[in-house]
Amino acid sequence: MSSLRALAGRAVREMLRTPDALLPTVFIPLFFLVVNVGQAARIFPAGATPFLEGQNYAAFQLPAAILLASSFGGAALFLVEDIEGGYFDKLRASPVSRSAIVLGRLLAEGAKSVGIATLIVLVALPFGITVASGVLGFLLLVALAAGWAVVFSGFMQLIALKTRSAAATQSGSLIFFPLLFLTPNFVPRDLLTRPMEVAATFNPVTYIMEGLRSLVLEDFNWTRIGRGFLVVAVFGALMVFLNVRTIRNYD
Amino acid sequence: MALAVEAERLVKRFTGRAGTVDAVRGVDLRVEEGEVFGFLGPNGAGKSTTVRMLTTLMTITSGSARVAGVDVAAEPDAARRAIGVALQEAGLDSRQTGRELLVLQGRLFGLHPAAAADRARELLELVDLVDAADRRIKGYSGGMKRRLDLASALVHQPEVLFLDEPTTGLDPASRLTVWDEVRRINALGTTVFLTTQYLEEADQLCSRLAIIDDGVIVREGTPAELKADLRRRRGLEADPTLDEVFLDATGRIRERVAGQVQEVE
Repeated sequence: MSSLRALAGRAVREMLRTPDALLPTVFIPLFFLVVNVGQAARIFPAGATPFLEGQNYAAFQLPAAILLASSFGGAALFLVEDIEGGYFDKLRASPVSRSAIVLGRLLAEGAKSVGIATLIVLVALPFGITVASGVLGFLLLVALAAGWAVVFSGFMQLIALKTRSAAATQSGSLIFFPLLFLTPNFVPRDLLTRPMEVAATFNPVTYIMEGLRSLVLEDFNWTRIGRGFLVVAVFGALMVFLNVRTIRNYD
Repeated sequence: MALAVEAERLVKRFTGRAGTVDAVRGVDLRVEEGEVFGFLGPNGAGKSTTVRMLTTLMTITSGSARVAGVDVAAEPDAARRAIGVALQEAGLDSRQTGRELLVLQGRLFGLHPAAAADRARELLELVDLVDAADRRIKGYSGGMKRRLDLASALVHQPEVLFLDEPTTGLDPASRLTVWDEVRRINALGTTVFLTTQYLEEADQLCSRLAIIDDGVIVREGTPAELKADLRRRRGLEADPTLDEVFLDATGRIRERVAGQVQEVE
């Protein structure tokens, strides 16, 4: 545990010392939030759209912005730097557990996501958005976003470990865009066309988004929240397993 | 005398789309405790691959290796506790300060935070980096990075220190400083396994050396033995240089053509 804390602390320091890499993870999701709301808010007026649960369309879009902010996977690019610079070998040559090497960065990515999701919610509050589930709901929302950040960073780290290439790792992050748009991004799932509804049903990101959205728009809908956390738990465990296995066989 | 490094019929085979390459083809090594052992060879001869297998960084295709009495394949964590590693490129995190890097390294080897901080202070003094300790590493010179890398390999007081081309790319003054550090570390009882392309470096530092070419050991002995052997075989009047021993061992001849030094088989 001591090694894990030390490695996570180092990864957090690394992030804080690279503000150029941190700023886009805040501004790009806020930009998409503003653009998406600007394009569709008049189609879905607050008082006349049942699925908004009395809030405005920005509240409906907020989870997409938080999800996007949690899906940059910057930790993997730092890992590629470590690999290219030789520091990764230094870590591997120490007797620290391989899972601590993987989890150190992932925990730091989760901590970063907590900060960014909190910031995005705070920025959204003056625009009439509220978290309907209250303080506990807000905490669950941030935890779910952080969990997803760990999953996605785990996926990106896997690409980094397999390819050892910054270009390939960066390209890997683009997979999030089809995953994001094959979700009930603009309307609830039951309003999607049939093919889109089927695609969204098979897309695990859908359940994270629906979990986040239920926390913003509704009181506690434990089924939706539970599905979101289940997806994080299953895919998180899978990513950690694959990352640790890859490091163990890394030549 | 006990062996610090022992390898038997060590083989590393890489298999890729282009086919199979045997980078190391049955290397046997025996390094005694307290030695500075030089491991020489031309580029691509298998030096770094051998070191990476001995330091648990690369899997072994066949054969066996023991470092400080520990089988590196069977007990990699125990082997890691016994060795220090400074690889070809100084493996440092440029965003950390020198002190942070050493403290972290100490904690990875199981030191309590306070003990890790104390050990970092000792090592910064040892490699003369106290003044730069709290500066980010990205601002360090090449020589400072090498010294810090050496210090980080010593955090846990290893029994065997692996140095892979520790002076490549350094100016002559920095090179001499690193040599002094290596001598000092060895004098404290640490066995040093040094790979280098600089024959003068091997001559200055190593009590014994092996030359690897095309994945196999082609010469092994003390520098004096290797020179005497070549002198006898060639019937030379004086001892040859280690450069000549190296060129003889690797089957290369130097020819000066149009102002350039070329190596031909």
